[in-house]
Amino acid sequence: MGNSDEIEDEAFFERLAQAEPSALRAPARLKSRVYSALMREAAEAAPLRSLTATEAAGHRLCVFEKFVQILPLGARLDSVNYCRFCHGRVLGENMDSAPIFWKGCPYADFHRH
Amino acid sequence: MSDEGLDSSPHPPAAASPDRPLLDAIRDGDRKEIARFVDLHADAVYRFVHHRLDRPEALDDLVQEIFLAAWRALPHFRGESEVGTWLLGIARHKIGDYYRDRLRNLDLSAVIDEDSLPESLRIAPTVDERIDGQRREARTRQILSTLPDPYRAVLVWRYWDQRSSAEMAAISGHTEKSIERLLARARALFRRRWNDG
Repeated sequence: MGNSDEIEDEAFFERLAQAEPSALRAPARLKSRVYSALMREAAEAAPLRSLTATEAAGHRLCVFEKFVQILPLGARLDSVNYCRFCHGRVLGENMDSAPIFWKGCPYADFHRH
Repeated sequence: MSDEGLDSSPHPPAAASPDRPLLDAIRDGDRKEIARFVDLHADAVYRFVHHRLDRPEALDDLVQEIFLAAWRALPHFRGESEVGTWLLGIARHKIGDYYRDRLRNLDLSAVIDEDSLPESLRIAPTVDERIDGQRREARTRQILSTLPDPYRAVLVWRYWDQRSSAEMAAISGHTEKSIERLLARARALFRRRWNDG
């Protein structure tokens, strides 16, 4: 192959490759998976911010977190990653439009956006 | 994993970054801010990786790996760039790791000797400007999907991830000459299929 062909080849492939799709969005189930992985990592590294402190910082707790928060479980259990045990997580990670509708749930938010 | 693209020594923040409160809350284990971080940045990381990957089935794992790498590198983030830019730097580094492993696990010699290049393949292809971007993208992806794995891998890595042959050789551990031979074969086969279509 001659040099001019190589140059044409380069231009051809560069032209094909230049369009990065701008409208593409990460699927909600992938966001859910990534969030679960980060939460696992965070919980292994140190206790999570307590539910009480989370709420005090202005965040809305989900119905299950709220339930746990009002139980007299002690400070240590206030920092557990309860999403690990929640069916909302399983649905969020495995479905494209997961039927999770309760407020304060990150998985529901990923699927709503 | 090599350290290219990842700042590995702890530093104090260089300046007050607007992202700092979010990152501090994440490091403090704020579960809702971790979710916000994912929601804010997943689309851009996903697009970036999607454009540069030769196998869609590897996409989800790689995106997750990038976020985990970012999480581990958070204590070293100095705030000199925006978080989004920093994340894409990590993504680029991880894509390099991905192709290094990919080329290591593929039998490159088998395809290098696979087919000969008749004169008819030397017709230079053109990009028809009348074909809109979406159709061209679909056709390009369709042809790429029919190529042998090593051809597809080197083409996408070279042009979609914009790596030079020298970089590809350095990262993958192959010689630059073998990368260039593989690229020449891959371009020829792609061209034949493009012209046939």
